[in-house]
Amino acid sequence: MRFSLLLPCLMLFGQTAFAKGQLPPGATVEKDPKYPPVVSYTLKNGLKLLILEKHFVPTISFTMMFKVGNVDGQQGKTGLAHLFEHMAFKGTKTINSKGYAKEKAALAKVEEIARKLIAEESAAKPDAAKVEALRKAMAAAETEADKHIAKDEYLNLFKSLGEHGMNAMTSTDYTGYVTSLPSNRLESWMAIESDRFKNPVLREFYRERNVVMEERRMGESDPNRLMWETLVTNSFVAHPYQNPTIGWMDDLKRLTRTDAEEFYKTFYVPNNATLSVVGDVDPAEVIALAEKYFGGWQARELPPRTYTKEPPQKSERIVNVFFKAKPGLRIGFKNPGMDHPDIYPLIMASEVLSNGKTGRFYKNLVEGKQLALVAASSPSFPGNRYPSLMVVYAAPKAPHTSEELDAAIMAEIDKLKTEPPTQWELDKIINNYEAEMIKQLESNPGLGMSLAQNDRIMGDWRYDWNVGEELRKVKPEDISRAAAKYLTRDNRTAVFLQEPLK
Amino acid sequence: MTIFSAAAAYALPPNLPKTAPFDFRPPQGERITLENGMIVYLMKDNTMPVVHLTAIIRTGKINDPVEKIGLGELTASLLKDGGTLKYKPEDIDKTLEYLAASVETSMGVEEARADMTVLKKDLDAVLDIYADVLMNPAFAEDKLKIKRDEALEMIRRRFDNPGQAATREALRAFYGAAHPYGWRTEEATIKAITTDDLKAYHANYYKPNNIIVAVAGDFGSKEELLEKLKSKFGTWPKGEVKFPAIPPVEIKEERRVFHIDKDISQAFIVMLQKGIKRHDPVEYALTVTNEILGGGSGLSSRLAAEIRSRRGLAYTTYSYSAKKPDYGYTLGYCGTKPETYSQALTEMIKQFKLIGEQPAPAEEVAMARDSIVNSFVFRFPTPFELISERAVYEYYGYKPDYLDNYVANVAKTDPAAVLDTAKRLYKPENAMIFVIGNSKKFDKPLSEFGPVTELKED
Repeated sequence: MRFSLLLPCLMLFGQTAFAKGQLPPGATVEKDPKYPPVVSYTLKNGLKLLILEKHFVPTISFTMMFKVGNVDGQQGKTGLAHLFEHMAFKGTKTINSKGYAKEKAALAKVEEIARKLIAEESAAKPDAAKVEALRKAMAAAETEADKHIAKDEYLNLFKSLGEHGMNAMTSTDYTGYVTSLPSNRLESWMAIESDRFKNPVLREFYRERNVVMEERRMGESDPNRLMWETLVTNSFVAHPYQNPTIGWMDDLKRLTRTDAEEFYKTFYVPNNATLSVVGDVDPAEVIALAEKYFGGWQARELPPRTYTKEPPQKSERIVNVFFKAKPGLRIGFKNPGMDHPDIYPLIMASEVLSNGKTGRFYKNLVEGKQLALVAASSPSFPGNRYPSLMVVYAAPKAPHTSEELDAAIMAEIDKLKTEPPTQWELDKIINNYEAEMIKQLESNPGLGMSLAQNDRIMGDWRYDWNVGEELRKVKPEDISRAAAKYLTRDNRTAVFLQEPLK
Repeated sequence: MTIFSAAAAYALPPNLPKTAPFDFRPPQGERITLENGMIVYLMKDNTMPVVHLTAIIRTGKINDPVEKIGLGELTASLLKDGGTLKYKPEDIDKTLEYLAASVETSMGVEEARADMTVLKKDLDAVLDIYADVLMNPAFAEDKLKIKRDEALEMIRRRFDNPGQAATREALRAFYGAAHPYGWRTEEATIKAITTDDLKAYHANYYKPNNIIVAVAGDFGSKEELLEKLKSKFGTWPKGEVKFPAIPPVEIKEERRVFHIDKDISQAFIVMLQKGIKRHDPVEYALTVTNEILGGGSGLSSRLAAEIRSRRGLAYTTYSYSAKKPDYGYTLGYCGTKPETYSQALTEMIKQFKLIGEQPAPAEEVAMARDSIVNSFVFRFPTPFELISERAVYEYYGYKPDYLDNYVANVAKTDPAAVLDTAKRLYKPENAMIFVIGNSKKFDKPLSEFGPVTELKED
């Protein structure tokens, strides 16, 4: 009854031909019909290009993916990766500036006062008069620097070009910059974005820091985000996955433009990036333009990324969060990491529990016992670069409580440890995985993101297809074994959202 | 090439390549009416072995009986989940999930939907389920209980996310809790709904002559697809559909302030003003005006520039105008810390006023126009999204060439049109303001913005 995902792919891209331009030496075209015919090319400075032609509409989707996330920040400077991402919309030496030489001096003045202000505010006993004077001086310096800004020119350039979905995202693992443009804007993108990543100027830094603080407050107002943050910060005690990507408020208050510039210099190098280009393009032209605009970007050696390993948990952690909202539940079990062979049966275990209405959580907890409004799971959170968490997220349906729901969830998990799932359950999961692989090809921005992320973070743009192969090899008893090994009480952290005590 | 397909009007910094104009005409697709009145839009696309289908059924939450608000939504959610004459609920789930296909039914404010996604090889099997779901739902009693309990739980949780709650409650206060545009489900209206109500609702609205279908994908030839649709839906008889009368909208055009006190990190502010009816020709100029004021996907609108980028007061701030059969609304939104909420709100009011007082610079208007014109192509990223758009515009009563003339109509908007539109439609002095936030931390009392009505989370 199984079907093969991979044969249809042949036809998906069978029409592709590279007649327009001759690919340069070093460019390779994926020929294995298991995969889409992605063109790969690496510039001398290490910037990796992945190009896929799709011609239904005259548009192109771009994803610039850097292997740098909150995990790469330092203790005391949480949130820096994300704040830099915001700053990457503030222009360059020539974009957003009326004249960089004068602006540079004005920005230096702002920075000098900002550092004094932060030092005073962080003192054991801040001098209120001094703080007030420095704040005034800071406001005056910012007003002076404003005179040299061509406001929002970077954003307006893209707006006029007809950008769609321009955005950026920072996770604990990566930072990605995305946009889509009409297809005759390829060279405009190359020109602006190469300048963006080669010559950023972090103007309006301290205002943008306030914007990020508002973003943090928005998250603090949302019970779901609060539960996720509480889960992560309580699950990891040593590894930097413990830090919220948005950053701790106290760290945000002390981050400086100098910190962000150092961070940029360390991690925003071509040898740390993958650019995917998906849509109505000629790969040879993409490569030629990338050489022209990104070729001069200097490579630099990256720091080692070895961080404190998280010790084995060996204890159950139960956290009650009191918040004005109805009850909710998050559970995290330490997983062995995406490069560990056990991850495949664990992915399958997660799917057996929560894949669709025939998944066990829905069938037995939402229907069946009718305890849950929702109950679902996911095999790797918050990141994939280091061992992470298999998570369960659920909400009870009154009059049932989170505690009852937790007990029922653990009972479902325990059952999985002793009774291996049926072959039908496994086949269903594989069928869905394979169908997803086909459907993900329909969206240019979605596919572009997945190619770039898999290449830069997981080490191969073919990663999703290859995981499919691994999942197909998993036997029912492997799943029970993985559940018994990882989904245990002493390997879990459970966060209960509770209504405030009266 | 056409005069209104725009080159980037913004002055480029030195050394950037010149951009050529961009001209895009959306493909047409085909439109066929079956004998029983079902309208079918289709577009063949064999790049992926997948078929997508959506049906738009003419009804919506606004058609619920007042004592049974939530009836439409429960009906839609049980079409599949409650089983059919031919298929038991668990058989439907097992078959669809094994085949990695999906059949999803839902109810919007002004439209009901039934969507299907299926791999080409399973089209016949899944279309058979889909058709039975639409035509012959059984509404199993035990499944109704689960869905009803779920709806009640959602009511209990409706203030959990304060940003969403602010928008919903603001619209409720704006149109009045008694008008369908301001309705929300209540415990009593959900509990009043019976299986017979679901059956009667289905029998009235789910008729072939009340449905527009859009299909795209690898379905073989047009003739093959139509044969399949006829064999599944051909015997479904036409019939009369009764629609309830929706009372006319009454909007108090005077400043009012509503507040729900809640100790959370941000204050959520929603500002509402009277908007336009759906086919008002001002819509093109309004789209450009809103793009300048608070629209667009980017951060370059005036609200984003002033409240967010220049003053660091918010992460989220935007505006939009919603069209409805009767008067729609214009909404301004901002999430900001309570200690500075009045600065953000004052700035928002100021920006709504300013754009109706001073003509926007020609360059700013050109940029907003270019943004809409040049990004028009992104409404049609796939054949299915293209053909669905065509079906949706017919459903909402637009002329068949609406999408084809859209760009030309937007391109006519000049600074004078923006000024006139803002003058006509933006009256912030009459705006209703709704705030959820911790008043103990407010930098100014809300009463400085108008007479305040205190509300509770209910």
